[in-house]
Amino acid sequence: MSEGLELAERAVRAADGDEAQAIVRRESSGLARYAASEVHQPTLVENEVVELQVVRDGRLGIAVGNRPGEDGLRELAARAAEAAASAPADPDFPGLTPKTDSAEVEGYDAATAGLGAADQAGLAATAIDAADLDLYGFVTSGETELAIASTTGLSLSQTMTDAAVLALAAVEGASGYAEQSSWRIGGIDPAATAREAVAKAERTRGATEIEPGSYAAVLEPYAFAELLLYFSYDAFGSLGLLEERSFASGRIGEKVFDERFSLADDALDPRGFPKAFDFEGSPKQRVELVRDGVLEGVVWGRQSAARAGNGQQTTGHGPPSSLRHWGPLPYALSVAGGEADSAEELAELVGDGIYVTRLHYLSIVNPREGILTGMTRDGTFRIRGGRVADPLVNLRFTVSVPELLAELPGLTREPVLVNEESYYDERYPNGVLTPAVATARFDITGIGSAPGV
Amino acid sequence: MAAALAAGASYADARVVIRRSQTVATRNRRVDRLDDVETQGLGVRVLVGGAWGFACDNELSVENSRAAAARACAFAKAAPGSHRRELVPVEPARGEYRVQVEKHPFEISLADKVEHCLRAEAALEHEDVKVTAASVRAQQEQKLFVSSDGASIEQETVECGGGIDAMAVRDGMTQIRSHPSAHGGSSAQAGWEYVDSLALEREAPRVAEQAAALLRADPCPAGVTTVVIDAEQMELQVHESVGHPTELDRVYGTEAAYAGTSFLSPGDLGSLRYGSEHMNITADSTTPGGLGTFAFDDEGVPARREPVVAEGILSGFLTSRETAARIGSGAGGSMRADGWSRMPLVRMTNLNLEPGEGSLEELIGGVDDGLFLQTNKSWSIDDQRLNFQFGTQVAWEIKGGELGRMLRDATYTGRTPDFWGSLDAVAGPEEWVLHGLTNCGKGQPGQHAHVSHGTSPARFRNVQVGFRS
Repeated sequence: MSEGLELAERAVRAADGDEAQAIVRRESSGLARYAASEVHQPTLVENEVVELQVVRDGRLGIAVGNRPGEDGLRELAARAAEAAASAPADPDFPGLTPKTDSAEVEGYDAATAGLGAADQAGLAATAIDAADLDLYGFVTSGETELAIASTTGLSLSQTMTDAAVLALAAVEGASGYAEQSSWRIGGIDPAATAREAVAKAERTRGATEIEPGSYAAVLEPYAFAELLLYFSYDAFGSLGLLEERSFASGRIGEKVFDERFSLADDALDPRGFPKAFDFEGSPKQRVELVRDGVLEGVVWGRQSAARAGNGQQTTGHGPPSSLRHWGPLPYALSVAGGEADSAEELAELVGDGIYVTRLHYLSIVNPREGILTGMTRDGTFRIRGGRVADPLVNLRFTVSVPELLAELPGLTREPVLVNEESYYDERYPNGVLTPAVATARFDITGIGSAPGV
Repeated sequence: MAAALAAGASYADARVVIRRSQTVATRNRRVDRLDDVETQGLGVRVLVGGAWGFACDNELSVENSRAAAARACAFAKAAPGSHRRELVPVEPARGEYRVQVEKHPFEISLADKVEHCLRAEAALEHEDVKVTAASVRAQQEQKLFVSSDGASIEQETVECGGGIDAMAVRDGMTQIRSHPSAHGGSSAQAGWEYVDSLALEREAPRVAEQAAALLRADPCPAGVTTVVIDAEQMELQVHESVGHPTELDRVYGTEAAYAGTSFLSPGDLGSLRYGSEHMNITADSTTPGGLGTFAFDDEGVPARREPVVAEGILSGFLTSRETAARIGSGAGGSMRADGWSRMPLVRMTNLNLEPGEGSLEELIGGVDDGLFLQTNKSWSIDDQRLNFQFGTQVAWEIKGGELGRMLRDATYTGRTPDFWGSLDAVAGPEEWVLHGLTNCGKGQPGQHAHVSHGTSPARFRNVQVGFRS
């Protein structure tokens, strides 16, 4: 039995006769953060957090702690019981998840789990040494475990590994970005990532402004992943659908996007960060969200499925309790590849437009219409005559994502994994698998700063 | 400390943090969150050969503390780069600090907190409002800081807060109104008396009515006009366009890959015109009730009140001991860590827009044709903190110095120094409100900071409103 599962089962026993479920999240990680080619903020984390859910007469109370000893668990159980006693019953509470098996997935690599501080610092040095410009970013690796046990007999554990390198090569007036992520350390190449960032940065010198307006554009996977993720918060979650505030409201079954666009949430895919079960203990399922431009559905957890009241079943997307107000969310978006061999080939399809490497500071302006705003950064270029041409300053965009997805002249063939874990709170590796895309419409609404530091 | 020094550290500090928090949230009359979180642990930061190292552990034992110190030193020794660091000296402090409250928020039962939310939610009921939400939160943090310089500091803070939201839906349109702030309400270092003062139940009918009315309001037209911005939105304007760019670690580029840098440079200190003469911004970790109030920061530097912008001129940066030594100005005092498992970073404490004169009514009275913008809805700013775009939940037309019709979907945009340069009035102390937010993100691994901003409504001329191309 894994350490996490053993702790989860001890926590359930501490609940002392109550109906209870324990969720354990363990982390052992290192992150070597660098700036100006020097590691300046190296962080090593060892932690295990227990969330104990106690149910009394349909009333759910939750307590969280990180003292794994018997005293700590007894105190945790007392706080969870008090919380349950304080809560009114929820008529839509589906009860604790019954005993079930999880999906069989990959996602653990012993070599990655075995990396220590010296290895992480060494990989950071590899990236730094490969860069001819000052390098900013990090190398990280970690082992995390999610374990769930309950009085229903549920007993699940998944130990995952992840590794990532992020490289921003930057000097005054020039900056370029690249990243790689994988659950296998062998799946990332810090030196190659740094060289990609440097090559991009070298092309951004002498950036100029353009007039705001609507442009055709090529979005690299880094940019498109971020845009999709923000759109998905309100478009592909079932809580938003139930509350009639989602873009999906009234549109399921309709063709709303370009037929070249197909999107799934697939935590089972070994090219991503595979997950066996969700935070409610339900097995992960692949969910078709968009097929050939037709909006097919959203993701569900047990709570939202119960609230739907129409026989809807969970798809294995129950959120952590701290994010319950968001409802079930797709943590493993996967965009089907197209026919182009490269982003340069997409530029040929666009002919005249802009090329975007990465986005910054997105915000949802109108969730129902899928309008987002944000900035481009670290590699924005003009596309002229079908070629990626002169560099541009950072641009403010305000786009309707459905309009952006309505006409996609092309997508690259091979999706790549874009890391979307920002390492706040407990580590939970996740990302978006996506190719680069060409769109007929990307609305530029302002001019920002020049590239570089 | 002993283990770190034995392992080669020239300097070391350690923080033990025990944090307990409760969150109660209700949504559409059902309990959405009811949790009680208590975490503890120890973080050790070391300086070895000029390189930082940091390691942490949730097990509070002598053995684990020594192991964390050793791991931190090992990481520092392995860190690539040509490390040279100096820290401005600080007198090693020994002392205690505890926030005084009238009603400790943990003395209010969870059941009473649930009831508080449900009552407020009930008052949000309206036929067009499809989603009602209310939340309250409470936190107590105990922190022990020791350093190899000889500092030994115990601090205990207590926070609480709350807020309500009403989302109206009709004919494919959604509109939201919130009180007292968007995105989770407002918090303060205070007891439950602060939550009571927010008057969530009393304000709820207005919030619901306005959310519903927005469904029938005209969209805010695009154009260049005069805007009066309410104190709540000014909180975010100060935070994003003054707070973050004046963090000296960003100026030096150490946040470049994630949060970004700054349009400011070290040489701008004392000379750069940030805004008009009406712009006075102060960093004040002594503000009563502020979420960034303490006796000592997470480097053991005493709390202080310092100008950041004085009469429109950049007058100070937010600094750490390291960045203050590098620029040769300041003494640190803005280093804060999110709990025990993260390194301290340069963070805002309480960054306040000092009040001017007059009432909100007088500010509006000085506008012949413009807009009054209330309550943040969306926010975005570029990596150097120059180009920003904010959306507000509601706008009100101003004609002839009087408020007119309600408008929806308002946004405004600008470039930071130009925008602050167009500031022509800040309302007086009677309009000044301290807002506290708990979701300021920075760092890798990520850290949330709790910060406050005291602001009055302010008036800006020639502002671009509207966003679509």
